[in-house]
Amino acid sequence: MTDDKEMTDTDLEAIFDAARAHPPDVPEQLMKRVVADAATHQPGRSGWARLFDMLGGLPGLGGMATATCVGIWIGVAPPTNVPDFAGQILGFEVTTDEGLEGATLTGFGWDIEEGKSDG
Amino acid sequence: MEAGRAFPARLACSIQVNMPSQPDTDGSDPEAALLARYAAGDPSAARLLSAKVLPRIYAHAVRVLGDNSEAEDVAQDAMMRLWGIAPTWRSGDAKITTWLYRVVANLCTDRLRRRRTEALDDIAEPADPAQSIEQKLQRAAREDALQAALNTLPDRQRQAVILRHIEGLANPEIAAILDIGVEAVESLTARGKRGLKAALVDQRAALGFENDR
Repeated sequence: MTDDKEMTDTDLEAIFDAARAHPPDVPEQLMKRVVADAATHQPGRSGWARLFDMLGGLPGLGGMATATCVGIWIGVAPPTNVPDFAGQILGFEVTTDEGLEGATLTGFGWDIEEGKSDG
Repeated sequence: MEAGRAFPARLACSIQVNMPSQPDTDGSDPEAALLARYAAGDPSAARLLSAKVLPRIYAHAVRVLGDNSEAEDVAQDAMMRLWGIAPTWRSGDAKITTWLYRVVANLCTDRLRRRRTEALDDIAEPADPAQSIEQKLQRAAREDALQAALNTLPDRQRQAVILRHIEGLANPEIAAILDIGVEAVESLTARGKRGLKAALVDQRAALGFENDR
């Protein structure tokens, strides 16, 4: 006669069934790491292709290109309200004033001509 | 996990040879085909292959180690080994899944061995498994109880029971994974089941088996 307090094969199989029905989910980050490892070590791929993958593929490069263009744009033509970061970091600002008293403009006599026209 | 971490020499050697488990009788091994595509440079093959095998080896590692974080490291390490061996993999040598299970089994064994080394005090005076399970079952369902019971089994018994009764592998494949004979697998799984029953017996009511018969 089976002891009522004994675990049977049927009991154990029910527990195994539950375990089989609910396997642990693979964490998304683990899957990403594994796929990234595979891309890094894939044979027959050029160094540029691996660098391309490391930078995040096309979306990653798109973001980098956009950031680069914006940076150059702000550097060449900074908006009025954007402070001079170089001046803040260095502690001083260097400005050049190519005024009318300079030789560059007066050498061509433009100021004289303008004076004549006014007169 | 650091990429390319050093692999134990014993393991690196043991997984290269004597793999009696062959691919399916019709000669098809979908995982091997994907690995060949990966080795040939197909960028989508790795994702497809990972989706097929990673859930299985991760689940095995979780159940053997009882620790999700360590299981992630083991699974990633095993997959790294797979990517590394891809160029020299010969179809027909063994099934990819068998090879992977074997790598994972050995990595888990190494980690369990390190745990024992790092926690000698715990080994000298082990906690009462029944007490530990009872505490867990106050807030856990059958899966948690099973994990706790599995943790009380010796490493080889635990791996054999998981591979046979949860992963559903055949004894010859388990023998190849654990590098033992089929008879030894049968012995391990039988002893493992007896150990699980002993660990779970006091929890029958909590597990909902009280009124089953």
